[in-house]
Amino acid sequence: MEVTYKVHREDSQNGGESSFSTYQVDLPEDATVLDGLQKIRDEQDDTLAFRASCCQGTCGECAVRINYKAQFTCTTRIADVTKKGPEILCAPVRNIPVIKDLVFDMDRFTWDKMAAMKPWMEPDDEFAPTENLVPESEMAEVRKTMTCYQCGLCDEGCAVLPVDFDFLGPGAMVKGYRFVMDPRETGPRQEERLAVVEQPKGLWDCVHCYEANGKCARGLEPSSKIMEMRDVSFKHGIKNEKVARHHNSFINSVKQTGWLDERKLVMETEGLTNIGGLMKLLPTAVRAMTRGKMPGRHEKRPGADQIKRIIEKAEESK
Amino acid sequence: MPEYDVLVIGGGAAGLRASIAAKRAGASVALLSKVHPLRTNSALSPGGVNAPLGSDDSAQKFADDIMNAGDGLCNPEAVNALAAEAAGEVVWLERVGVPFNRDGDGRIDRRALGSGSVERAAYADDRTGHMVLHVLHEQFQRYDIPCFKEWFVTSLIQDAGACTGAVALDHRSGRIETFSAGAVILATGGFIQAYRPCTAAVGTTGDGLALGYDLGVGLADMEMVQFHPTVYSAGRTALISEAALSAGARLVNAAGDTVVDAAGLSRAQLAAAVDKAGRNGGGPVSLDLRPVENVASRFPGAAEVVRLMAGLDITQVPVPVRPVAHRAMGGLDTNASGETSVAGLFAVGECAHSGVHGAGRMPGNTLTEAVVFGKRVGEAAAAHAQSAGTRSTSTDQAARDGERLAAITSGGSSGDTLGTIHRELGDVMHANLGVTRTDAGLAEAQETIRGLRDRHGKLRVGNKSRIFNYALTSHLELGNMLKLAEAVALAARGRNESRGAHQRSDSPERDDTSWKAHTVVHQQDGAPKLDRKAVSA
Amino acid sequence: MKYAFYPGCVAKGGCPELYTAAVKVAEKLDIELEEMADVACTGAGCMPTQLSDPINARTFAKAEQMGLPIMTICSTCQGVFSQANHRLQDTDYREEINREYLAEEGLSYQGTTEVKHMLWVLFEDLGVEKLKSLIQRPLDGLKVSPFYGCFLRRPGPIMVPTKEVGGRRGYLEDLTRLLGAENVDISGKTKCCGFPVLTANEESSLGMVAKHAGESKQNGADCMVTPCPLCHLNLDGNQPRAESLKGEKINLPIVHLPQLLGLALGFDADEMQLGKHIVSTKAVNDKVDMLT
Ligand SMILES: Cc1cc2nc3c(=O)[nH]c(=O)nc-3n(C[C@H](O)[C@H](O)[C@H](O)COP(=O)(O)OP(=O)(O)OC[C@H]3O[C@@H](n4cnc5c(N)ncnc54)[C@H](O)[C@@H]3O)c2cc1C
Ligand code: SF4
Ligand code: SF4
Ligand code: SF4
Ligand code: FES
Repeated sequence: MEVTYKVHREDSQNGGESSFSTYQVDLPEDATVLDGLQKIRDEQDDTLAFRASCCQGTCGECAVRINYKAQFTCTTRIADVTKKGPEILCAPVRNIPVIKDLVFDMDRFTWDKMAAMKPWMEPDDEFAPTENLVPESEMAEVRKTMTCYQCGLCDEGCAVLPVDFDFLGPGAMVKGYRFVMDPRETGPRQEERLAVVEQPKGLWDCVHCYEANGKCARGLEPSSKIMEMRDVSFKHGIKNEKVARHHNSFINSVKQTGWLDERKLVMETEGLTNIGGLMKLLPTAVRAMTRGKMPGRHEKRPGADQIKRIIEKAEESK
Repeated sequence: MPEYDVLVIGGGAAGLRASIAAKRAGASVALLSKVHPLRTNSALSPGGVNAPLGSDDSAQKFADDIMNAGDGLCNPEAVNALAAEAAGEVVWLERVGVPFNRDGDGRIDRRALGSGSVERAAYADDRTGHMVLHVLHEQFQRYDIPCFKEWFVTSLIQDAGACTGAVALDHRSGRIETFSAGAVILATGGFIQAYRPCTAAVGTTGDGLALGYDLGVGLADMEMVQFHPTVYSAGRTALISEAALSAGARLVNAAGDTVVDAAGLSRAQLAAAVDKAGRNGGGPVSLDLRPVENVASRFPGAAEVVRLMAGLDITQVPVPVRPVAHRAMGGLDTNASGETSVAGLFAVGECAHSGVHGAGRMPGNTLTEAVVFGKRVGEAAAAHAQSAGTRSTSTDQAARDGERLAAITSGGSSGDTLGTIHRELGDVMHANLGVTRTDAGLAEAQETIRGLRDRHGKLRVGNKSRIFNYALTSHLELGNMLKLAEAVALAARGRNESRGAHQRSDSPERDDTSWKAHTVVHQQDGAPKLDRKAVSA
Repeated sequence: MKYAFYPGCVAKGGCPELYTAAVKVAEKLDIELEEMADVACTGAGCMPTQLSDPINARTFAKAEQMGLPIMTICSTCQGVFSQANHRLQDTDYREEINREYLAEEGLSYQGTTEVKHMLWVLFEDLGVEKLKSLIQRPLDGLKVSPFYGCFLRRPGPIMVPTKEVGGRRGYLEDLTRLLGAENVDISGKTKCCGFPVLTANEESSLGMVAKHAGESKQNGADCMVTPCPLCHLNLDGNQPRAESLKGEKINLPIVHLPQLLGLALGFDADEMQLGKHIVSTKAVNDKVDMLT
């Protein structure tokens, strides 16, 4: 079938604006988007740059935005992306510096962030003569997480990255999760792992928008994994101080009155000694008051005693 | 000029393992790879990694089985090393994180790869290569080894007979750089992309073999090319591990009757049987995975790759399969420490021929080879570098490579394309250097390959940039494959007997009087020359 | 039609105008509300599930006793409730929570409580026809940017569980048009508003405000409408700070879902307490005034 490729072109090292090139390509009905790109490079334009390696959806190398959705070129069929018209738009994944055409800066996008997870084990008994004994059910969970290709598709959908590129992103968090949840890394090792994922720009910067859940080609639900790690972190004692204050304040408020005291929350989170933080919040507070928006007196709700009982019991069992 | 004790070229399982070992041995190490390590071929292997871990198994039994599968061409020293060190390596892999499947006692579970074989493969679902590669890359990061990823090595450097470095093109900056090293390890993988279809990643183009061959190292047993018996292949490929056969999958015809009984067959025999059954008129052979209990959860990788590539659901329908070129056993001639005939140059993994596979590789032995020999060779290279005297690494080669690349990107179009030549090469390799061969077919293949080399020599790349110029590197890769294809054809023609993966219908018998020997191809005045080398006792 | 009404903390705290508007609008729509007074905050995704699941099970059990479905007016409440309710469909887990936490109070949750955001109630229970019949002042010419935020949409399998309610992905746009207003699309309408990250990473939070509000403004919107008071707190309350961070004026009014609805049902800006917002809604008020 005859299709039109419209492909993003850019050569950042040599400056110049980005543009699009258009190619007419005749391909078999069941061809993939990658087949077409390869044909273009071979027959029409050998300056076109795009990445690929395994060509069978196994390595994670070929992510491209096809018709506005980031996916693997090697597993995406042209028939599936031309249902609404014969044009196939190929652009680099979003929020990331482009090096050449569809080739983007994987170092900054993924590799450096993965490395920030200190992603390796250093067991004391590394050279023991026999393996660790682990129940299969627990190992199966780790295996599932480890199917992550480190492809970055989930990062592409993240809500935070467009506004804060240094956020480590869901892909790196999944890598962190793989260690936090590994039954071979318990006790102090797990504490260290949690400290790593809780680093600034890490676990607590996620806005739990759940975008990433729908993006992973291996169905790893990165957003849910982040929330799960937060639960674990809470159990072990949150290591990010500011977040810990926020949590305690939140939980105490609900514990004391059944609901949330926003005013107190803001103050306690910033920390009473944190003058700078308070000053920043002041303008909002002043504006809020002049408009009658400042939360009113915070009263204890009926049922608050039961709520307190439940929370305290749940806290004990952690 | 960047300088290291040990320079590792290739970031697959073998290269990563070698880097870690060299670093642990106290050497300064850097790794160069034309793709990021996690994107290499090693990520694709589903089946498993062999090690005699069971109480019913032993290094001796393992060694015996390898020797058997090797059909007379194994180097016992290499085999014994592999058999003796496999268990230790697999246990280490587990200790540093590979999430191997467990048995009821929580120990590493093992399974058979191919029916009738011993349960000896440790596995992580059917994504063993992926898991092993990712963990090796983790460990590689732990040792903080510089990784020059997306650097394409164009030449090795020789000084006073010894290899003292390499020249590489950085895809990102377009720069050509000389690296100086006390020892160079080639871990560049195989050349199976010379076949069409094939199971491997696009970069499996034999660059390392060509680099060593150009320096004078011999290519051993190049005719031994393994076909994988159970691969879906129609435009694109999807490999299903033979572990499925041991788990109860059946090879059936269109009517659903079993056409091949896999029990007790070696991989080569199985491939031949599937090939033959496919030609028997009963329609295409299919792998029926439905009899496998919990097939979707036991073979998630197969389920995924077949869904993506074939659009089929393994739990619902049989998958058409045929033997597809998979893994070369031939490679740079080395000893059991990875040393080549050039001082300071080592080779390991799929690009190397240590004699560990002989004429027939056991499924699951490549990953084992990559880690066991990766460690051995990494350590040997570190020792060599540390004991070697002063060296000189000249930048002349880099200048010559610059000119060579410039020549490829100058001049007009010949009307040909890289893709066309590559396809024609792949087709002739598949047809004439496939599961069964004949002298006439081999002669024809030699002829065709020569013609393709001529056409390739005339072909120019229009893109003059050096930044992510994949057309340029493809040109180099295709040149390498053509060079190696010539060696394969020559060796295959020379070996007028049938043995292991090399089956000749015109000489169907194994001939131990003339051919209990390795073929070794050397380059002489730009042409391949075939020698015979005795198998060590 | 009757619901156990769960207004949430923010509607009773930082966004009192939302509470007022919701109650007035519900009355006009013949939706009877019985406010749940003795139940806890949902946890807002800020409490670990270990603490929040038991207290939410308690809330559901109370509604079950009342024999009523729950209606929320906060996407965050809705999201946390939906996920908790999803987990509590597991009998073992639910029984454990009943035993450990609820039994002492004589409560037990059977897993039957339905929880719906007001936006869903409008389309799925009240119905488009009924709604249409009650519109007194079509918002002709008003340009509105719908902003869902995260929690009403994701995780998809829980928030939009079946094909039948697949329309949930477009309710806000549908409603905007239904009320006679013009729909102005922005790329981030289902993205995060930034509120959840305000304490951990203020700059990125404000960056999100600037991005969404700025884009709406650029696309010609008179205002944004949101079903979530937390989105409102950030988009409205922090808009001035986002402006100073970016060094550009945005000045885009943000209205709560019931407020927009209320304007079309004939309430005036004062009744909907538009004056309580941080960003002045004068532009909206003026346009709506012209319609009457
Ligand atoms: C689909 C499939 C399934 C398989 N299944 C199994 C199995 O179940 N069990 C098993 O044991 N084996 C299996 N194998 C074989 C096994 O995966 C490979 O033989 C093995 O991974 C090779 O590892 P390697 O490290 O030698 O090379 P590779 O993994 O191929 O790595 C080669 C490296 O060299 C680099 N390189 C190459 N040329 C250059 C250059 N010019 N410049 C710079 N860098 C270069 C590449 O970038 C790459 O990093 C399978 C192979 C395939 C394709
Ligand atoms: S849930 Fe968190 S990490 Fe995931 S996409 Fe949203 S903001 Fe990013
Ligand atoms: S979690 Fe999924 S989408 Fe994200 S990097 Fe891993 S495989 Fe890719
Ligand atoms: S989630 Fe929010 S608005 Fe909902 S009840 Fe709790 S703090 Fe209040
Ligand atoms: S090329 Fe490997 S996933 Fe597409």
